[in-house]
Amino acid sequence: MIYLDHAATSRPKAPGVVEAMTAWYRELGVSAERGDSRLTRTVAGQVRETRERLGRLCGVPARQVAFGSGATESINLFLRGFLARGDRVLTTQHEHSAVARPLRALQRDLGIRVEVLPLEAGCDVMSDQVAAALAREPARLLVFSHASNVTGRLLDAPALTRVARAAGTAVLVDACQSAGIASLDFGADAVAASAHKSLLGPPGLGFLAVREGVPLRSAKQGGTGSSRALDQHPESWPHVAEAGTPNTPAILGLGAALAWGAGHDAAACGARLLALLDQLASELESLGARIHSARTGARVPILSFTMPGLDPAEIGALLDDAGIHVRTGFHCAPWVHAALGTEAAGVVRISAGPFTAADELRAPARALARR
Amino acid sequence: MSRDERFSRQIRFAPLGRAGQERLAASTVLLVGAGALGTHLADTLVRAGIGRLLLFDRDVVEESNLQRQVLFTEAHARAGAAKAVAAAESLHAIDSRCRVEAFAEEFVPASFGQLPCRPDLILDGTDNFPTRYVLNDLAVRERIPWVYGGAVGAEGMAMAILPGHTPCLRCLIPKAPPTGEQATCETAGILAPVVQMVTAFQSAQALKILSGRHEDVARGVFVVDVWKDSYGLYLGAATRDPACASCGSAEFPALREQPPEAVKLCGRNAVQVLPDPGARIDLELLARHLRTAAAEVELSPYLLRFVAENCRFTVFRGGRALLFGVDTPERARVLYDRYVGAR
Repeated sequence: MIYLDHAATSRPKAPGVVEAMTAWYRELGVSAERGDSRLTRTVAGQVRETRERLGRLCGVPARQVAFGSGATESINLFLRGFLARGDRVLTTQHEHSAVARPLRALQRDLGIRVEVLPLEAGCDVMSDQVAAALAREPARLLVFSHASNVTGRLLDAPALTRVARAAGTAVLVDACQSAGIASLDFGADAVAASAHKSLLGPPGLGFLAVREGVPLRSAKQGGTGSSRALDQHPESWPHVAEAGTPNTPAILGLGAALAWGAGHDAAACGARLLALLDQLASELESLGARIHSARTGARVPILSFTMPGLDPAEIGALLDDAGIHVRTGFHCAPWVHAALGTEAAGVVRISAGPFTAADELRAPARALARR
Repeated sequence: MSRDERFSRQIRFAPLGRAGQERLAASTVLLVGAGALGTHLADTLVRAGIGRLLLFDRDVVEESNLQRQVLFTEAHARAGAAKAVAAAESLHAIDSRCRVEAFAEEFVPASFGQLPCRPDLILDGTDNFPTRYVLNDLAVRERIPWVYGGAVGAEGMAMAILPGHTPCLRCLIPKAPPTGEQATCETAGILAPVVQMVTAFQSAQALKILSGRHEDVARGVFVVDVWKDSYGLYLGAATRDPACASCGSAEFPALREQPPEAVKLCGRNAVQVLPDPGARIDLELLARHLRTAAAEVELSPYLLRFVAENCRFTVFRGGRALLFGVDTPERARVLYDRYVGAR
């Protein structure tokens, strides 16, 4: 089976991930900060190491990194813990539902006001759009996805962040599609990502890295293993954004993935995958396909297309029967489909990862050419 | 009017008699399918005085059913009533003392364990082989007599199965004919008289079984063609196969098989039906069969598209189908079995 849905989840995981998780299940089996035994301290050390790696990735101290069940939870916790009634929030049309839906819910629950910046040519969002929106009316927060899971466009996060912060607007970045591919150390107030996508770690884990001094209320309360005698949730980091037993095996698995990633040339790998995807895009075009994803400029290895006369679901079925796993339809990004004009049936999405071979990226066009 | 008076003409028939009638009144029948065969069977057996009927059907009444399916009215078709429920309503009006329980759902192996009581007889009112094999395997495993019946075009076939004594359906037909090669009511049409002939045979065997007269049950396969006027009971047509996966080696494969998975596509008014890997479908043959039953039949080397019952189908060689314009997996499964039927 040829797996080309890395934007949904990486497959396989980075070398060492399964071993690290298995070692926890076989030999360790306890949570950090739940007791003071040697065993607990061993696990705590490994968890701390993962936190440190993530802190370095995002340019924040390790204690400013909070683990959660996934990027979705981390984004929700930040939005609910940061925003107040009536706040104005800027976001972009290329958001995933992990951002769009919590914002819509907060419009209802907190009466926040949301302005969605439209996609410009090349599926991009420009810093002058942010500047113009903030000049019209200040906003408390700018939240955007670093890279779109449909168009693959990698926004100029440093520029967007600079403009927003200069205007006194805090910045939250959803880095699910960019973590492990692009730098996350560009001065955002908060970065959230999942472990299982381009970081090549296990599912069921995400993190929220927040710059020191950014005020955050706890939006989820429970056991933290610290301040155990108190019945109030602590306000100290990282506990303010963590509650309940953590997914320790996944944290150790992510640690192994980050260790592998430290020796991995992400830039060269990204260039190789984009070249292969560009070749595939040309081949698909020669079969009549329409490419909807970004073709030039900064992007992550995602190719979205449609073919006249074939429903994306039909293309997906044909590819599946040819042993090629892709993703079809909507990709939890309703605003993007509206911008692309693909809101009726969505698109076919092909996405590659570091272990995707050149042959595998030639297979879809071959399968569709035989049709 | 007393029950004796109501059933007097049947009681007067000596081989059945009062004792037979009492056994009928105490009996429970599981009838799977409330279409052409099923409604005729239910009508006959409820009128004959059975005590309890467990009736399964997952489909709804449509206008095109009224030509051959008794118990239903135009009002049922207009309302799109569930067949099991609509039939139960009519049966209640026919004999309010018969306990009719309607199950508007697909009959699957697990349904058997959830029945309110053990049936004395299982009757085939289905329109597909996968469900027939489920009934056969359950009947053989549970040692419950059952009567198979099928009809399409002007032809019909039926056989009574007394587990442990007579050949079972798998002895007669070890493997369902490949999908696309079977004529269906949608592709070949169906005449009401063949339904009546087949269900007359089935109900007669049912009366014998329920009244305890197993020795009188037909041994052989009933085959009929009401257009060519050939009618016969073929005694040697089926013999017990010692290697039969049901009544021979007791493997009961139909009780282990999973029905094709049907899943709604995210955000779409469409459902994907995905049979087990290994299912194959002859798209050319299916396309030929569908020429009269479907519209906009369009065949390419890798897929077959057609429109039927306001649903746009795309069928792939592996038996997978996409059904556009269908909002529930249940409806998609009905349409899939009706027009594609790969397992």
